[in-house]
Amino acid sequence: MVASNTIDRGRTLLREQPVLALAGVAGAVLVLDLLARLAGVEVPLVGDRTFGGSLGMGRFGGLLWNGIIVGLIFGLAGIGLSMTYSILNFANFSHGDLVTTGAFTGWGAALLVAGWGVADVGHLLLVRPGSGANPNEIGASIAQAPLSILIGAAVAAVATVVVAVAIDRAVYKPMRDRGGIALLIASIGVALALRYVIQFVYGSRNRGVTSTQDVNATVLGITIDLHEATLVLVAAGLMLGMHLMLQRTKLGKAMRAMADNKDLALVTGIPTERVVTATWVLGGALAGVAGYLYVLERGTIEFNLGWFLLLFIFAAVILGGIGSIYGAIAGGFVIGFVHEVSLIWVPSDFNAAAAFTIMILVLLYRPQGLFGGVTTA
Amino acid sequence: MSGDDTPSTEGVSAKRDPTATAPENALLRVRDLDAGYGDLQILTDVVLDVGDGEYVTIVGPNGAGKSTVMKTVFGLTTYMDGTITFQGSEIHRLPPERIIHEGISYVPQNENVFGSLTVEENLEMGAYILDEVPEERIEAVYDRFPVLRERRDQKAGTMSGGQRQMVAMGRALMLDPDLLLLDEPSAGLAPDLVDDMFDRIDAINDDGTAVLMVEQNAKTALRRCDRGYVLAQGENSYTDTGDRLLADERVRQQFLGG
Repeated sequence: MVASNTIDRGRTLLREQPVLALAGVAGAVLVLDLLARLAGVEVPLVGDRTFGGSLGMGRFGGLLWNGIIVGLIFGLAGIGLSMTYSILNFANFSHGDLVTTGAFTGWGAALLVAGWGVADVGHLLLVRPGSGANPNEIGASIAQAPLSILIGAAVAAVATVVVAVAIDRAVYKPMRDRGGIALLIASIGVALALRYVIQFVYGSRNRGVTSTQDVNATVLGITIDLHEATLVLVAAGLMLGMHLMLQRTKLGKAMRAMADNKDLALVTGIPTERVVTATWVLGGALAGVAGYLYVLERGTIEFNLGWFLLLFIFAAVILGGIGSIYGAIAGGFVIGFVHEVSLIWVPSDFNAAAAFTIMILVLLYRPQGLFGGVTTA
Repeated sequence: MSGDDTPSTEGVSAKRDPTATAPENALLRVRDLDAGYGDLQILTDVVLDVGDGEYVTIVGPNGAGKSTVMKTVFGLTTYMDGTITFQGSEIHRLPPERIIHEGISYVPQNENVFGSLTVEENLEMGAYILDEVPEERIEAVYDRFPVLRERRDQKAGTMSGGQRQMVAMGRALMLDPDLLLLDEPSAGLAPDLVDDMFDRIDAINDDGTAVLMVEQNAKTALRRCDRGYVLAQGENSYTDTGDRLLADERVRQQFLGG
């Protein structure tokens, strides 16, 4: 009975949502394959293709850890994107370049503090290690110069806030009542302008900035990259702070109220322009810190890093349910995990495609996203 | 007597002069108001008064501009000409967030609660302009609408229409306003809840808050209020006490469906 019921339901699903049914089967096969690999079982199929194989627990754990790291970056940057979407009603394509802004301004400050006296001030501020002293000589790492890393994070936040609020005053505020499409297109223009200003000021070369000396520490027999650990702690702390701010403070409640219903917020006496400014301040700060932490983890910086991140950030935010910060965080983790864990099966050129495929599948099943329609802001 | 089809003011008990029965020291005084949306003018020479603690309704056919009068008082439309004074000071150029400070609160017709916020958070938002959340005002609202106290942590969007209307009114009462603007408070309510809603409005008015209300449910509204205005095509036609408007032949025929 139970079996025939299951088969019936399977048939209905196959008929009504064939893509989903197929995805379900594929997912089940992948999970079985993963378990087989972890158990070291290998069944030869056709040619050199096999079912299962061998995958060490260590490598699997490493992929999961990378998934957490990437997910935190996507989620942290996605919170601001989701907030501007829900409170200002437009998809901000310049958000990725705010991430880049934070990365460069933050690392300029971090290198300046860490490399004071070692290298030329101009080179440090413009994030150009190598022309003079190399990154290891400057020593910008959490192990060698923790203070410089924290100062860099603070500067990344503040500088990105200044840029975000200035752009809002100059471009978005005069267009406030124009509707989402006009603002979206304006934001693409802002994105291009911002990116090439960054390229003009900082140059287009991809370069290493962090020092890699002494950043690996062994805790309880597990080797941890201290830069990754810093990223996890700071990002998780900021997300928790955002949650408390939105739920507990008057400003946070006003932001949720405005995301919910702008007209009612206005007649209730909520100072809507102040809430908009607060949205840029918080969203900009998180975007800037996300860019800064991203560089801390990967070690290199270039002028279009935010633009390349933007697609993933959008994927995370849409997957989670655009407008919800909890959706952005959850979506970030889903995209991050898929991005990394899919490396078990696909070469690293294709793992981004796997992440977007998951986004499409989730949206087929839940068009409003994971948290969409549940709660705003 | 002109008992033919030529409209005449003779034989009509309601008065032509809209200010005729208005109180001497009006709380809200609207004079020759022109307003609309953008370039579109909706209201022409509207004259209206609300006395201290008075309960006034605006009735009229659909599209007469009833809601527009209310929105204009609250600074939500395009002001064109005329004056609106509240407690002696002109407010017709003020934005809504300043008008709230003057002592007027407004309950819109639709989507008048923050659905994703809890009941208590909705009330807190009503007092946003104060530095601290006035706990005693929240308690006063809970005393007025006890069901809201029971459901203080429930998301307002998950409540019934009648309860949502209570949340909306409670939010508007958080600042203890001198004048409460209500736009179609009975809209969307189940018929058996409509009387209950009007009882609650009576109670709010009895406690000293002046009420200016727009209602589609004209007969009930006129029966309940102190005074009514009949608005047609963006202009005042008559004002009188609610009972006398109800009894008026012209008003009955034109606006109340006979």
